[in-house]
Amino acid sequence: MTQYASLLIALPLISAFFVPILKKISKKAIMPYLTLITLIQTIIAALVFRDVYTTGNPIIIMAGGFRPPVGINLYIGHFASLFALIIALVSFLMAVFSMRAINIEPKDKYAMLFLLLMLGATGMIATGDIFNLFVFMEITAISAYALTAYNKDAHASEASMKYIILGGIGSSFFLVGVALIYGSLGTLNLADIAQKASLIDPTVAQVALALLIFGLAVEGELFPLNAWAPDAYQAAPHPITTLFSAFVVKASLYAIARIVYLLSSVETWQNILNLLIILGTLTVVIGELSALRQANVKRMIAYSSIAQVGLIAVGFGLGTQAGIDASVFHMVNHAIVKALLFLAVGYVALELGGAEFEKFRGLGKRMPLTAFAITVGAVSVIGIPLFNVFWSKIKLLLAALVAGKTFVVALILGASLVEAVYYIKLIHVMWFFESEKGEENIVLGIIMTLLIAIIVLIGIYPDSLWHFIQEAGRDIFDKAAYIKNVPLLEVVK
Amino acid sequence: MTSIGVYYFGAISLILIGLYAILTKRNLLKILVGLSIMETGVNLLLISVGYVRNATAPILSDYATPTNVVDPIPQALVLTAIVIGVATTALALSVAINVYERYNTLDIEKIRGLRG
Repeated sequence: MTQYASLLIALPLISAFFVPILKKISKKAIMPYLTLITLIQTIIAALVFRDVYTTGNPIIIMAGGFRPPVGINLYIGHFASLFALIIALVSFLMAVFSMRAINIEPKDKYAMLFLLLMLGATGMIATGDIFNLFVFMEITAISAYALTAYNKDAHASEASMKYIILGGIGSSFFLVGVALIYGSLGTLNLADIAQKASLIDPTVAQVALALLIFGLAVEGELFPLNAWAPDAYQAAPHPITTLFSAFVVKASLYAIARIVYLLSSVETWQNILNLLIILGTLTVVIGELSALRQANVKRMIAYSSIAQVGLIAVGFGLGTQAGIDASVFHMVNHAIVKALLFLAVGYVALELGGAEFEKFRGLGKRMPLTAFAITVGAVSVIGIPLFNVFWSKIKLLLAALVAGKTFVVALILGASLVEAVYYIKLIHVMWFFESEKGEENIVLGIIMTLLIAIIVLIGIYPDSLWHFIQEAGRDIFDKAAYIKNVPLLEVVK
Repeated sequence: MTSIGVYYFGAISLILIGLYAILTKRNLLKILVGLSIMETGVNLLLISVGYVRNATAPILSDYATPTNVVDPIPQALVLTAIVIGVATTALALSVAINVYERYNTLDIEKIRGLRG
């Protein structure tokens, strides 16, 4: 019985709609309820993860028992199960953080939108249908717009407005892409599209893929459509910023990679890969250079996050198994590191009333553990050995070398250099100034210690995780296995 | 131009008109109207993809046989897309009210609290 995996979608959806009822009973119970649901989600995700990795077969769930392509199916393969676990775990940690960080009403709306955001991202990576992907993308987007505006101050409204306009353009582009694919193949199921990929006209496929990439690039924070990201990261509540960086972006990037690699048999495929590399490169360059001149630490880390996303896109654009593996590894590492960084920076901003550079002066004296967490996160993002991001950067470097894209090597090294400049500036401000002693929250301290431990553990023993990553990468790359695993019904025309 | 060509032409025109409004207008509400026009264009495009000449609505009846109905799937998609569009527009307008209350203007050139 593996059908319980559908609870990954069902549980947050049902729980979200129970929040208004719970509000009538007790307002105090809302935040603990949110924590409990995300904890249950984590347990379910862990069970699904264990099932998929021990049997080696993906879990296919057919909605209503109809076989695809007539019915809609969920495809919870190696990648989806790994990422569903990361999504649920980060959500759980941030739900705990929310208990402290969210002090303004309406908390019931916050809990509802939080659950819907988690649901949308899980759905995006689990679905096997391109229109279903659109629906989940919109669920994620709409709850993200509302959560960005949650603080209701001037900055939050402005950031949310920018996000809505760009998101609206993106979703229209995506739908035009869907219309082109449906018009030429007459199917919406991803496995079916992959099977019939050779029938599609190469030019139409190229345009459709480009439109789909541009549609997903809004959430995926790729260059021309990522102008909303730094504003939203700065203005959104601190736990939500973490969720954006840790998994909302990753779900969109995965969707891009999945769609692109399923259509790998069209002739114009190489152009699409080049498009991904160009978008990724521009994202890295602009993200890193903008990060250099920020006065707000949260905004600086937001730009750094955008740059890392660019590196992931470049990895997907290499078109090799090694490139995908490296990108997936970077996605996982980046999710962990940015969860730690945004948690620590958000906590500081909460305690000291802002995230400007002056607030971090002498943080090592005031909040030693938090300052240590930020230091570990910063050092890890730069790519120093013994920390996890080093391994994913080196894998990406090697993959680029094997694929013959030498400029990508230069890009990664250059990006690391720029990162070193602004992160070391932050570390310097934190540790080399005096200030008075302060208090630290124990629960958040435990979460930070846990994340630091994971970062160092992966940094010292990367091989244990690398095994899982390779399985997940093969899940994206091997489209023959993807088609084989979905029990397609032959539709008579 | 065949009759189906008119639909495609109309749909693409609507998308481009919407995109033009979003990119050039300075008033926030006009931008949101542009967004709605763009969504309408996309919906029309989806419907045209499933259009069959001289066919009837895909509702089970004595007249409708498998060979003379239009494709029902794009219609289901458009129904979903319309609902999503309504939700986005409603949220966007309420955020626009918030923006107006904070900045006392809807001119995007003047709404510039976030820089850097």
